[in-house]
Amino acid sequence: MITNTRRIGQPEVIITSDEYAKFCEYFYHKTGILFTEKKAYFVERRLTDCMERIGSTSFREYFSLLRFELSGAEWQQLVNELTVNETYFLREDYQFDALVRGMLPEIVKGRDRGATVRIWSLPCSTGEEPYSIAIHILENWARSDDFAIEISASDIDSRVIATAIEGTYAERSLHRLSPGLRRKYFSKISSDQFQLRDEIRQSIQFSACNAVDPLSMSKYRSIDVIFCRNLLIYFDDTSRRESVDLMYECLRPGGFICLGHAESMSKISSLFKPRKFGDTIVYQKVS
Amino acid sequence: MLVRPPAVAVDAVEETCDETRLESELNDADPGVRSRAARALRGARSGIAGLCRRLEIEQVTSVRTALLTSLIRLKSPDVVERLAEFLRSENVALRSAVIEALQVMPDVALPTLERLLGDADSDVRIFAVDVLNELRHPEVPALLVRVLLQDDNVNVCLAALDGLADLDDDVLFDPLRAFVKRFPAVPNVQFVAKSLIRRIRGSA
Repeated sequence: MITNTRRIGQPEVIITSDEYAKFCEYFYHKTGILFTEKKAYFVERRLTDCMERIGSTSFREYFSLLRFELSGAEWQQLVNELTVNETYFLREDYQFDALVRGMLPEIVKGRDRGATVRIWSLPCSTGEEPYSIAIHILENWARSDDFAIEISASDIDSRVIATAIEGTYAERSLHRLSPGLRRKYFSKISSDQFQLRDEIRQSIQFSACNAVDPLSMSKYRSIDVIFCRNLLIYFDDTSRRESVDLMYECLRPGGFICLGHAESMSKISSLFKPRKFGDTIVYQKVS
Repeated sequence: MLVRPPAVAVDAVEETCDETRLESELNDADPGVRSRAARALRGARSGIAGLCRRLEIEQVTSVRTALLTSLIRLKSPDVVERLAEFLRSENVALRSAVIEALQVMPDVALPTLERLLGDADSDVRIFAVDVLNELRHPEVPALLVRVLLQDDNVNVCLAALDGLADLDDDVLFDPLRAFVKRFPAVPNVQFVAKSLIRRIRGSA
């Protein structure tokens, strides 16, 4: 008798609790992403979708494919399914809290007033992240006027950069912003369209950059904080190593990398020291 | 205050790949120069020997990472053979880094790893199994089963069992039973293998 069984999707696809636990353990081991019991429905549904797509009716068979397939194509497909992201203002803003409460105070210690602090959003997608960083710093860091804060933002896709520079967003991108912040930083240009005010839009330098290309990455140096959230998870092992190696060179000694909440540097590189600020772990370049 | 950063230069010209100079820079006193040289040799197949020579003596972790990342990008049977030699190194950091590097080139690493499973040094065989345990390749289970059935060193076999624990498949029944019989006096073998047999039975 099968106990603790989940019956999901097509009737013939069964994933037991033990198999679910085994999958989660393996997924964590390979990606650093931890799925708890609360995410079971989300995970199982995507697992089932992937199994149905390739005609697999046995978890054991599917897991074996994930584990040993030479190309890793099915593994990458599943990773993509399980890490679909949507960007919006103040997404995962506990990392911005960590920035203003922990990282920035540490970074500017010993620096003169007026010194430069460099922050880089990579990838920046359509701009919500770098603009959120700017707004969060202005609103929450008491010393923001003491330093020249440079925020760069890059993406490999020139189309999203064009959208970012335009700085116009629909209501759903702004759902986490308070009415006060909306009034302060946005102009309503239609019933569902809001444009960032010029002073914020013009404070960010947008550029195209390929995170695995040494030449492209060599243009960014002496960065204090890199926000690289939900990018590495889409790379293969080799590209992930290359990209982290290049970001290491972009950072000042003691600089920080912020990864997505579910990502972990420990599976990629030993060049960084994990640091806990509040509820988040970021990775510091060992001097 | 927010200050718009200067625009990024878009007309940067790629550094000329002067391999002789770069190979010389691999031995520069400045770790930054060594890292840059390692990265610049990322596409240069003729740089493999120089990268490996430096890898053997490099002490700075970030430079070692850059050297290995370039070698991974240049992956070939030659690279794998050279890296595999470092599994004999007494330098634990180098050995661990090499194990991780071999794990990300499964297609070219497998033949060399299969050969190393027959190495006279049981430590090398254990390291080869450690690589196999994380390798994504359909032939891995069969190789690990072969270790279980043929290797005389119980520690090599137990390392292989670690990798097979992922498989959780009926086809392991007979090999596991045979393995238990090969080392009747080793409590760890009895415990681990029999636990795995029970687990497979439970999920069958």
